[in-house]
Amino acid sequence: MTEPLAPAPTLPQLFIGLLQVALSSFGGGLSVWSQRIVVEQRRWMTNDAFLTGLTVARLLPGPNQINLAVYVGATFAGLRGALAALAGMLLVPFTLLMGVGVLYFHLHGLPVVDRVLAGMVAVAAGLALSMGFKILPAYRADPIALLLATGVFLAMQVFHVHLVPLLLVVSPLAMAWYWPRKGEEMQP
Amino acid sequence: MGAWAWPLLAVAAKAAGSCEPTRLTDLGQLLKVMATFLGLSLFSIGGGNTLLSEYHHLSVDQFCWLTTSQFNDLYALAEAAPGPSSMLVGLLGLGAAWREGPLWAVLTGVLAEVAILLPSTLLVLIVCLGWNRFLHSPWRVAFERAMGPISLGVLFAVGVKILSLSDTNPTGWVVSLLVCALVVTTRLSPLWMMAFAGLLGGFGLIHR
Repeated sequence: MTEPLAPAPTLPQLFIGLLQVALSSFGGGLSVWSQRIVVEQRRWMTNDAFLTGLTVARLLPGPNQINLAVYVGATFAGLRGALAALAGMLLVPFTLLMGVGVLYFHLHGLPVVDRVLAGMVAVAAGLALSMGFKILPAYRADPIALLLATGVFLAMQVFHVHLVPLLLVVSPLAMAWYWPRKGEEMQP
Repeated sequence: MGAWAWPLLAVAAKAAGSCEPTRLTDLGQLLKVMATFLGLSLFSIGGGNTLLSEYHHLSVDQFCWLTTSQFNDLYALAEAAPGPSSMLVGLLGLGAAWREGPLWAVLTGVLAEVAILLPSTLLVLIVCLGWNRFLHSPWRVAFERAMGPISLGVLFAVGVKILSLSDTNPTGWVVSLLVCALVVTTRLSPLWMMAFAGLLGGFGLIHR
């Protein structure tokens, strides 16, 4: 890309930009929209910088898009930038959702509401199932990774081990296995 | 009765199908909700979705805030709505405190969301502000490589669990599997699928 980047966003611009990302993601696709808006449309950062942020966001605990918002905001304006970005991503959508939630608890007894929700639940279940399939390709070439994933899956699904104890036991073992050897490339 | 009797009673109660939420004050309930989600925040590796099974276990089995059917509904709403799907926790908090009235329930929802986001967000902030040291740490490399496959396993387990909870009729199952295939292979927006399936549901073709 030969076009120059736009000037660094101000706090209000961070708020509006991340709000735009959140509102565009009706029904999903948050990650696609955040890239489109931050990199292509508003030209705040290069794609490489964005992808680094995505790596950080995925690596650390917490919802990926929240983490990404923090990264984008912090890159330009430190703590206040992170807060502005978070507010943009969350304030309006969350208020909306709370409104929907209140409506739900008032109305969910109504048969027609319940029926429509049944359809939506079927779609949501399909979405949940798709999550694993979407990241599977990245690990196809690593048999140890697949073994680890299978073990975790069986522990949760068949033996009903809860996530927290499972993570506490498996993570150190996995990290020990994947610890970088001397002289290994450590770039993200 | 000895202390051993209480767990037995709880098991018996579960077997009998009862799930009566313990009676707490408004504030007690609020604090319990916040403490629960605060504790989970740092375990949401690979994105918020890995915690979904835990959310179900806590809200339906352990604390009896919701029925499975309501949990499914809230999950569907959180997925359909604009914004991060981790806002589900706000809805869970809303449900947990609903019997205390809408205003208190909304407050609980807001604070539940704050609780699930606060620890992990602080961590991200610290890392972002000190990224350079982090970048070259072997801990970071090992963590990154290890978390991928673990997340993969968890996401599949969660996906299967949510599917099994959805308890829809065969048409519903077909829709779920179709949606899964479409989402993985195309860029079709789930919102269209939700609208279409909502229609099917409205006409009774999908039911539970």
